[in-house]
Amino acid sequence: MSLFKNLFARSRVERDLDQELRAYVELLVEEKVKQGMAPDDARRAARVEAGALEHIKDEVRDVRRGAVMESTWQDVRYGMRLLRRSPGFATLAVITIGLGIGANSAIFSVINGVVRKPLAYPASDRLMFITSQFPTLNFSKFWISPPEYFEFKEHTRTFSEVAAYTTGAMNLSEGERPERVNAAFITANMFDVLGVKPVRGQAFTTQQDLPNADPVVVISHELWQGSLGGDPNIVGRLLQIQGQASTVVGVMPPGFDLHDARAHLWMPLGLDPALRTNRGSHFLYLVGRMAPGSSAEGASAELAGMLRQWREWAVTGHAPNDSTHRLQMAPLQDEVVGNVKRALWVLQGAVLLVLLIACANVANLLLARAESRHREFAVRTALGAGRTRILRQFMVEGTVLSVLGAALGLGLAYWGLKYLLALNPDSIPRATEITLDPVVLAFTVGVALTTGLVFGLAPLLHLGEQAVTQSIRDGSARTTATVSRNRVRRGLVIGEIALAVMLVIGAGLLIRTFRNLTTVDAGFASEGRITFGVVLPQATYNEPGRRSQFITGLVSRLQEIPGVERASGMTGLPPLRQVNANDTDFEGYQPKEGDPPANVDYYQTATVGYFETMGIRMRDGRGFEPTDVTGSPVVVINEALAKRFYKDQNPIGRRLRVDGGPTNSPWFTIVGIARDVKQGGLENPAGTELYFVFEQGAQVGFVPNQMNLVVQTSRPVTSLMPAIRSTVTAMDPTLPIVQMRTMDDVVGDSLVRQRFLTQLLGIFAGVALLLAAIGTYGILAYMVSERQREIGIRMALGAGTSQVVQMVLRQGVMIAGIGIVVGIAGALALARFITTLLYGVSPFDPVTFLTVSTVIAVVAVFACLVPMRRATRVDPLTSIRAD
Amino acid sequence: MTVPPPRTALLQGTLDLLILKALNLGALHGLGVSRRVEAITRGTFLVKPGSLFPALHRMEEAGWLVASWGSSENNRRARYYKLTAAGRRQFESEVSQWERIAMAISLALQAN
Repeated sequence: MSLFKNLFARSRVERDLDQELRAYVELLVEEKVKQGMAPDDARRAARVEAGALEHIKDEVRDVRRGAVMESTWQDVRYGMRLLRRSPGFATLAVITIGLGIGANSAIFSVINGVVRKPLAYPASDRLMFITSQFPTLNFSKFWISPPEYFEFKEHTRTFSEVAAYTTGAMNLSEGERPERVNAAFITANMFDVLGVKPVRGQAFTTQQDLPNADPVVVISHELWQGSLGGDPNIVGRLLQIQGQASTVVGVMPPGFDLHDARAHLWMPLGLDPALRTNRGSHFLYLVGRMAPGSSAEGASAELAGMLRQWREWAVTGHAPNDSTHRLQMAPLQDEVVGNVKRALWVLQGAVLLVLLIACANVANLLLARAESRHREFAVRTALGAGRTRILRQFMVEGTVLSVLGAALGLGLAYWGLKYLLALNPDSIPRATEITLDPVVLAFTVGVALTTGLVFGLAPLLHLGEQAVTQSIRDGSARTTATVSRNRVRRGLVIGEIALAVMLVIGAGLLIRTFRNLTTVDAGFASEGRITFGVVLPQATYNEPGRRSQFITGLVSRLQEIPGVERASGMTGLPPLRQVNANDTDFEGYQPKEGDPPANVDYYQTATVGYFETMGIRMRDGRGFEPTDVTGSPVVVINEALAKRFYKDQNPIGRRLRVDGGPTNSPWFTIVGIARDVKQGGLENPAGTELYFVFEQGAQVGFVPNQMNLVVQTSRPVTSLMPAIRSTVTAMDPTLPIVQMRTMDDVVGDSLVRQRFLTQLLGIFAGVALLLAAIGTYGILAYMVSERQREIGIRMALGAGTSQVVQMVLRQGVMIAGIGIVVGIAGALALARFITTLLYGVSPFDPVTFLTVSTVIAVVAVFACLVPMRRATRVDPLTSIRAD
Repeated sequence: MTVPPPRTALLQGTLDLLILKALNLGALHGLGVSRRVEAITRGTFLVKPGSLFPALHRMEEAGWLVASWGSSENNRRARYYKLTAAGRRQFESEVSQWERIAMAISLALQAN
């Protein structure tokens, strides 16, 4: 209290002191005047008698500061000295706490950066993310079409402004190498909605956002400083984007982004506000800023009202409504953070368990020490140390340990996170915002102080007044630990084991999930395959014939590379790609009430030989053959599509076409049924899919400008990469090669988030297991040393080694057994938190529970081994004679 | 004018005891403490402000005394010190300790 007064109210203390001394002198003068001195003489005499006031003040100040600091500092020094005297204990305790605190700081810094920190826009809590929903098609989050966007923007009252965007990637030909750069296509008002202005130049004008306006671009600060070399005259410069010269009009501030698009080019969407057709063409995401005074509930209510009357605004039948085509909104922040939130909280729960285990361990260590320091405290109490003073010393010692541990923990957190994030880039959104900022530091200090106090107080559990008197009375005779004291220690270890069981079960379930995901049948073979993408710019490949010619030429040249067995092209790269959801006309299919709408999840356009190159097996019919290049239009469907639209019929020979409104495609004949290929992530069931022949593109009126190529080889895959690169460059040196990777990496990257979660939880579970093992070892070793006399007497009375071993083992097994049972109960209770993170394994999976229990039991038995050996080596003579 | 009695240097630790004793009789300001110590020791000990104030503040910090602003007989503002319960206990234990020491010393001096 007074320390605070001294530190924070210094000026008041100073004023008081000053006034006090002045009053003293005045009183002295008064006294002397009363004794008959002349006032002036009295004043002079008083001055002399009082002495140098400033000097007195100094002395008082010293005394004040000293009183509190000194006793605390004494405790700290004493604590440090004790720790130095038992370096083994100190090191173990600091490492244990360091691990616990480090794990907590690491995860908290992730939560702090990703979940807690508001998005980097002014008043970002007013921003809503608006998407559509198609319940009958099972699309829970879908895009919105331009007419719907304009209508929403015009009719809303709860939003002050609504902007739309879509993302993509563009070829940027600047510098020596063309590169592929992420881009966002936005309406001109997007920067206003987000509330961020370019740091250089201007945002787009509404005119620049009209169709056929001169191409302009706003670039990211990172692109400006990176590839563009920080050009001071950047505004006004022309950039070659997708083969087209575009004027740079602005540069955004550093770190500016939208929904983790990692966009470096911001370009106008160029929508025509007057054009209200093509309502089914959904490709926009909407971001709205709520008007001042309106609430999220108000906005949702307004949206519900709009859905009911939307049909009046729509020119055609297609309009958002509340049964099949809903709109929904969620705070932009929730949207960006998404489902990673639950995983992070699960991790935070896990590291809290680790910290608890660490605390229990250190508390146990301190308890053991307190027991051996019993006499020290008894003597100090007898010498007049107050109970509060001894208590304070315990807390100071605990805090010294935990502060050292926190320092170690912060280091672990910093380097560990850096390493893990480098291993798993893109595993979490907003990863760049994860830092050890003041909030994280405050969190760490808070955790350190709390833990310090908690286990600083632990020894008090049995250091009651009578304990003190008793141990003095006992003199040098060793006191056998009382039953209750041992119960506390055993309880702590049981708790540790239980927590470790819960954590290891959680990790085990996630590891099984990850195993299931990596071994899940994705429907294609990834081994020995390399893939990369090319995007043919509109400017040079406007002609469909040129595009077709380039791709088929590239495929045949790739096949000529020595070591290449097959090569093919495809539009969509499995196993994780964006859904197409294209309306498709199945000949003779008339959806009745309850039937699925005629819509296909994925369109895939692939070159002849694709199924062979990708190792996709056919269930029925045939794949694409060279004769198809000039033959009539054919199509291959997947099993899911056959099941959905041709329930009990044979689809082969039936016809379908792309439903393009007034401009339907020609009819395609189904020639084969392919096995399902995962396209929406390995953890999701395969959607419906249609395969078109790329070589028929010119004939049917669709030649894609964006293709992924895949090359199959029996040689080491990476050895082929240079040859593939030079083949592409030889055909078109201006064409960037997009993300050349092995197909195995593509599959691995689709699991990056699960892998990150599994790795982290695995590490924490390992730490927990280690700590629990140390704790078990500790208590058994302690028990053996404490009962050395008893063991000695037993052995002297004829007990054999096996009986002694049994005695120790029985203790160990009992502790581990209770711990495991409690842990399993805890795991069952917590199972529901982790269910959504699992795939192909139940949260009550008996195999995991059994394996984990066995592992923990084995670890516990191992922890018994050393104490057991020590017990059998007890020499009856010395142990009885000891003390 | 009387001849002042011989002044004795304060024994280490006795200052606290004397201040506690002085305050045990009632609250006093700094000069009051000094004068009362002078009075109860019949002028043997004169406490100078250079040792008085640090001692008062140290004892306040230790929780034996509390200080508050009040006014003197002549309505002058002064800081008054008062014993707390802890101070009273401290006083009692110091008194008994002093008695033991005093007895031991005088016994020692009387020994042959």
